[in-house]
Amino acid sequence: MRLRFSDEVEAFRLEFREWLGQNAPSPEERAADPAQGSAHLPGWARAWSRRLFDAGWLVPGWPPERGGRNAGAIETLVYLEELARAEVPRTTNPQGLGIVAPSLFDYGDEAQIRDYAFPVLRGEKAACLGMSEPGAGSDLASLSTRAVLDGDRFVISGQKVWTSGAGYADFCFLFCRTDALLPKHKGISVLLVDMATPGITVRPLPEIIHRERADLNEVFFDGAVVPTSALVGQLNNGWAMANGSLTHERGMVWLRNVQELEDEVARLVAEAPERLARLGAAERAVAADRVAGAYVDAMAGRALGYRGFAKLIRGGSAPEQALMKAFCSEARRRVSQVGIDLSGDLGLDVSPDGHALGSECSWAELYLYSFASTIAAGSSEIQRNIISERVLGLPRG
Amino acid sequence: MDLELSDDEMALRDNVRTVLGGICPAAVVREAHEGGDPRSAIWSRMVDLGWPALTIPEEHGGLGLGFVEQVLVAEELGRAVVPSPLLATATQFTPAVRELGGSGAGRLLERVAAGQTGTLAVAEGGRWSPAEVVTSARQDGDGWILEGCKEAVVDGATAHQIVVIARGAEGLGAFLVDGSDARAERRSVLDPTTPIADLHFDGVAVPADRVLARPGHDAVEEGIRRCLEEATVAVAAMTVGACRRVFEETVEYTKARVQYDRPIGSFQALKHRMADMYLSVERAAALVYYAALTISEDVPERSIAAAAAKAAAGDCQLLVVADGLQMHGGIGYTWEHGLHFLLKRAKAGDVLFGNGTTHRAAMSSLLGLDQQAVA
Repeated sequence: MRLRFSDEVEAFRLEFREWLGQNAPSPEERAADPAQGSAHLPGWARAWSRRLFDAGWLVPGWPPERGGRNAGAIETLVYLEELARAEVPRTTNPQGLGIVAPSLFDYGDEAQIRDYAFPVLRGEKAACLGMSEPGAGSDLASLSTRAVLDGDRFVISGQKVWTSGAGYADFCFLFCRTDALLPKHKGISVLLVDMATPGITVRPLPEIIHRERADLNEVFFDGAVVPTSALVGQLNNGWAMANGSLTHERGMVWLRNVQELEDEVARLVAEAPERLARLGAAERAVAADRVAGAYVDAMAGRALGYRGFAKLIRGGSAPEQALMKAFCSEARRRVSQVGIDLSGDLGLDVSPDGHALGSECSWAELYLYSFASTIAAGSSEIQRNIISERVLGLPRG
Repeated sequence: MDLELSDDEMALRDNVRTVLGGICPAAVVREAHEGGDPRSAIWSRMVDLGWPALTIPEEHGGLGLGFVEQVLVAEELGRAVVPSPLLATATQFTPAVRELGGSGAGRLLERVAAGQTGTLAVAEGGRWSPAEVVTSARQDGDGWILEGCKEAVVDGATAHQIVVIARGAEGLGAFLVDGSDARAERRSVLDPTTPIADLHFDGVAVPADRVLARPGHDAVEEGIRRCLEEATVAVAAMTVGACRRVFEETVEYTKARVQYDRPIGSFQALKHRMADMYLSVERAAALVYYAALTISEDVPERSIAAAAAKAAAGDCQLLVVADGLQMHGGIGYTWEHGLHFLLKRAKAGDVLFGNGTTHRAAMSSLLGLDQQAVA
């Protein structure tokens, strides 16, 4: 166990920090044209992706031709720490950069890598992920959107839901059923579908934050036609891609969760003295206890994350990873509740247009957003199933 | 930051666990709970193996290892519910001597390495807070006279040497008192394998050469804080060790126990609770290791990290022990089944050196939450 990384790693950190200082888009530039959703690429975001790619800072673990510098896992973690420290978004299309492009490098053919993966990396195209359906949420393998092979084309019919950024995305990495007779995990394929294809309708699905706030969408496919060249990997081999790419950044998703938890707890601690001073002694003591409890959670989140990361880079299994999503998202809900409680009547405030993001959000808005974190990308209940069955080895029910 | 055990740390932990399996198996824990006294036999083996000397510098006959290694040992003491003077000697007395003993510390630590036991008497008013100390130290010629009562001293009735924190006119001081000079009142407690006593000092004279730190000496308060942080994190580690064992036994039990024709561990109502137990153990363990590192490397975060570790260990025992016993059903409630020995050790660990509420309150102060904003 040790508190700090090696001198070489810290030198890497300083090198990136310096580059970031000279090249990152300014907060003013970003605020003037904010990303409207998770596949929206404002001008600054396109230019920023391109700068990262060209300098080998987009995906440090990859080789230079893919926008990296063959960095190791620890260096990549340090890189993500520095982005978080500078409060600079790495991308405004996290699904494209984090899941779609890596999956295409793992499974796609040369043309798909050229026409889809590289444009995503260079900020020229944005991708959305077509996974969940009305009848296939936690049980994703029961998805029923069909792609019927018809000569040299697939004809797609069905419906996706919770598709982040579908209204802005250039293309969709679409999971669909290509063989209804095979067992459910074995009849799924992935297609690359241009969102401009006739027969696709995107309907925004406003979130509980505000009726005009809709990053999520329903996507309807009504006989949309794509060529067979849209198939990623082998026919009926799509399930292998459902768990994301095996790139080593998978072991670092927790860092963002922890960062958000820490940011919210830091805000709670900053606001607390003034708010606590207004309370009577008994209420103040209870409230201070809850703020300190939130701080314990934030410290624990980081300690758990680093402990799991250290196990991963030594080649071991890291059950901590399965814990992180449920823990951080539930801790953030608790933090937002403490924030509301400390705020008195101000705890009811929300922004009038529903457009507040991140640190602009009121505690009430963070409370609402917290449900997205405990439900999306594997609900807390699914995480507990994973922990109890895969980590603790408890029998399936 | 790397919070996984290195190969050496893992080897140390495995070795300690194996040795404790031999010298302190379940039957010995039971014996300690049923009126026997296996402590001296266990202690002499520990002394032979050099365990009391773990963090003592090599020039004083020690092994020269750090606080991280000490914490790994403390965790194993909890896991095996070991009745021994090691916790108080190595994680309370030794740090107190090191932090407060000045130039005479080396000589005292040499005796610890040779098997002398010790403890730290700090608590008063039900709290392990120096601010609560009213036991008085009055100068008398070259020496000092102690008057008062220290509470809940671990091994207080049996330790050879006791570091007593007492208050003089110019502030707190630290005094070395022979165990036989204090009037010990043994307490009847939940976990008799962690014996505690209240110590009465009825005009006990401390000669000048046994004053570790004179009242009013600049570094006394700082030294007391530092040794309390070590003691606190070690107790947290011990608590986590007991909790982890409860958690592991519960998982195994629910895999084996069949009702309604299936293992009860296949019921989602229990699986999700065991996932929460696991999270609670990992959360506390990660914070204990983090706190151990901050103390070992002596960074300013050590105070808040120590408090957070103890608070998390408290949360952990509350959830893990209760749910663990509950899932064992009636058998867990019997004396014959040993689960309650772990439960009692974990609860003792929660209370000693301040529970979660106490340490969250300490964090509130460290975070400045009690600083009223100036309008």
